[in-house]
Amino acid sequence: MATAVGIDLGTTNSVIAAWQGGEPVVIPNAEGARTTPSVVAFTENGERLVGQLARRQSIMNPKGTIYSAKRFIGRRFDEISEEAKAVSFDVVEGDGGAARFEVRGKKYAPEEISAQVLRKLADDAGKFLGERVREAVITVPAYFNDAQRNATKDAGRIAGLEVLRIINEPTAAALAYGLDKKGHETVLVFDLGGGTFDVSLLDVGDGVVEVRATAGDSHLGGDDFDRRLVDYLADDFQRDNGIDLRSDPQALQRLFEAAEKAKVELSSMAQTQVNLPFITADAGGPKHLTMTVMRSKFDDLTADLVERCMGPVKQAMSDAKVSANDIDEVLLVGGSTRIPAVQALVRRLTAGKDPNMSVNPDEVVAMGAAVQAGVLKGEVSDVLLLDVTPLSLGVETRGGVMTKIIERNTTIPVRRSEVFTTAEDNQPAVDVVVLQGERELARDNRVLGRFSLQNIRPAPRGEPQVEVIFDIDANGILNVTARDKDTAAEQSITISEQSNLDKSEVEQMVSEAESHRRDDEVLRRAVEARNELDSVAYQVERRLAQLGDSAAPHDRARAEMLVADARQAVKEEAPPDRVQPLTSELQQLLQGLQPTPTGDGNGQPSGNGDGSMSDDDVVDAEFDRG
Amino acid sequence: MAIPAEQSTSEQDPGATAEPVASQADRDEELARLEDRWRRAVADLDNLRKRYARELEHERTREQSKVAGAWLPIVDNLERAISHAGDESSAVLDGVRNILREAVQVLEHLGYPRDAETGVPFDPERHEVVGVVDQPDRTTGTILDVIRPGYGEGSRQLRPAAVVVSRRKE
Repeated sequence: MATAVGIDLGTTNSVIAAWQGGEPVVIPNAEGARTTPSVVAFTENGERLVGQLARRQSIMNPKGTIYSAKRFIGRRFDEISEEAKAVSFDVVEGDGGAARFEVRGKKYAPEEISAQVLRKLADDAGKFLGERVREAVITVPAYFNDAQRNATKDAGRIAGLEVLRIINEPTAAALAYGLDKKGHETVLVFDLGGGTFDVSLLDVGDGVVEVRATAGDSHLGGDDFDRRLVDYLADDFQRDNGIDLRSDPQALQRLFEAAEKAKVELSSMAQTQVNLPFITADAGGPKHLTMTVMRSKFDDLTADLVERCMGPVKQAMSDAKVSANDIDEVLLVGGSTRIPAVQALVRRLTAGKDPNMSVNPDEVVAMGAAVQAGVLKGEVSDVLLLDVTPLSLGVETRGGVMTKIIERNTTIPVRRSEVFTTAEDNQPAVDVVVLQGERELARDNRVLGRFSLQNIRPAPRGEPQVEVIFDIDANGILNVTARDKDTAAEQSITISEQSNLDKSEVEQMVSEAESHRRDDEVLRRAVEARNELDSVAYQVERRLAQLGDSAAPHDRARAEMLVADARQAVKEEAPPDRVQPLTSELQQLLQGLQPTPTGDGNGQPSGNGDGSMSDDDVVDAEFDRG
Repeated sequence: MAIPAEQSTSEQDPGATAEPVASQADRDEELARLEDRWRRAVADLDNLRKRYARELEHERTREQSKVAGAWLPIVDNLERAISHAGDESSAVLDGVRNILREAVQVLEHLGYPRDAETGVPFDPERHEVVGVVDQPDRTTGTILDVIRPGYGEGSRQLRPAAVVVSRRKE
């Protein structure tokens, strides 16, 4: 079955997304970019270029490079004469008064230009997905009239796409956030793009989205913010050096790039450095532009632009007869909504509501369109609902900590296993305590069950290998098996009620773990430090026993003293600052206590216990004595 | 996506006709449905694995170009500094010139060769026009000057060369 895609056909940039494996995914174009400029060029030698390539040659071919086609689509020439003056190419009146672009004596309809952009997006996506893209959902601004919607649909047809539906951009944003699945809500969508600003108020709920009011400013966007910063930098430079950088195209280009970068940085930092060495030169030699821009300065420079957003928001709210307190959700769309001052304004206008921007604001519209495409193709409902384990599952290991075997949110059915060993010499049995929860210490988690695996053959600690297998079937039933790899003896337990926690209990456990995370981390590290000390003390003891009388008497005396200290520290549950120095001393000592080269070589198969490493390279944790 | 379920009906149940139980057809259907689902799940997993492998490669390339790209302004500025010195020669300057050469070489070894060729025709894959100069004696669209060299080519392009092109005044 062919994949249906969602396309955000923008004024300056377009984005395509597909429903993939149960979620909307943005598809990069052939050049590897996730957004494609909505630009089409007709070159002198009859070539047609779309996207980034078209934009690169626009300066050399201003009359043959068409951009902002969206401002003209489905419009009559007499409606857009103002817009026509603002662009570098020729806009003329066609048959029946429709707006047409004239390039080298040939007339093109705006829908033909948009079709080229759609074609490129669909072709590139087809290459990426490995299958031809035939069907699409395309978005338009909520204020588009029937003629504009039909023309957009025609653009899709010209591009060889079956247009499953034309949907509103704010609606798509609401779908991307899954708001349609929630209860009835009033949603404000604030969309500040590169060159246009739109506000919409939606009624969302029960799978239906209704646009109650829209307002906007068709010539306000991120580019205006860049321009302000460029002027500020250039003015300042001119004051100090007497040179206007704006009259030098090369310097201006660098200024624009630096301004955009600074703007982006000021969204996350309070200040940034603009550094343009060798920006120009005069008789006195090269000149450099170095300036620190504070966020407060940037806010100051762009305050009136931000204020201009206010009118349309108020307008939309009064048209929809909605007060700030009636708004349940605020969605931010468009890259310029990353500007902190813009977000502050939105908060101010919506009674302090925190706006949503967890979905990339440049991509949210295309993602929502892909969700719609998935729904229309029946793929969304067809997804097999997969269960996950609500909480982590594991066993208790030495020192009373929980070792997780299956992490929370793992999709089931699932089977995981880990190998453990004994904590004492000749330990005859291991206790398996099955735990559920997110806390580090076993005692803070829920015990689901316990059993013991008996008859382990006598062996030094660390040698027996006990495999613990956790298996959850599709019904959520957990089966825990412990198997002695030496004797193949097995013991197991089946726990069926591990998932009968309700949602609030799970959430509480997760949030408790979150709030205790730092403390728990400290406790776990303390336990691990003591385990390490215990382990190295044991190795030293063992080495001493092997060496017998060949160990130097003073080494032996010192070792015995340190081992006794270590045992004491473990017993008293000493903090890491006492444990760690002891561990490193013992480790050093252990290295000094090499057996003579002609010795018995320890006799262990994998070399465990040799050298200074602790012996846990096949073993992940150790069980306490039962 | 391939549809692996298509073979599922032919390769099973040799005894299906021998036992004419009433619910046999239902069971066969259920079995076929389940087999179809299972094969789809396995195929999905396999495709996901392939997609992962592909995406990993893609992400690696992307990360590499991100890191390499972040250094380009520094290489550019080094180049600007040197060009301001003109033909001057001093031990320090020669040393700095060597540093630039080294930087360009590093980029080339990473797979981003420098592109600063003039006199060639404009190619939107390689060039970005930042200026136009009227030149009656040259064909339109010849690269007259490279303002900022490009690095990388094809799908591994860090950025195109910023160029000034000729235009024949008509």
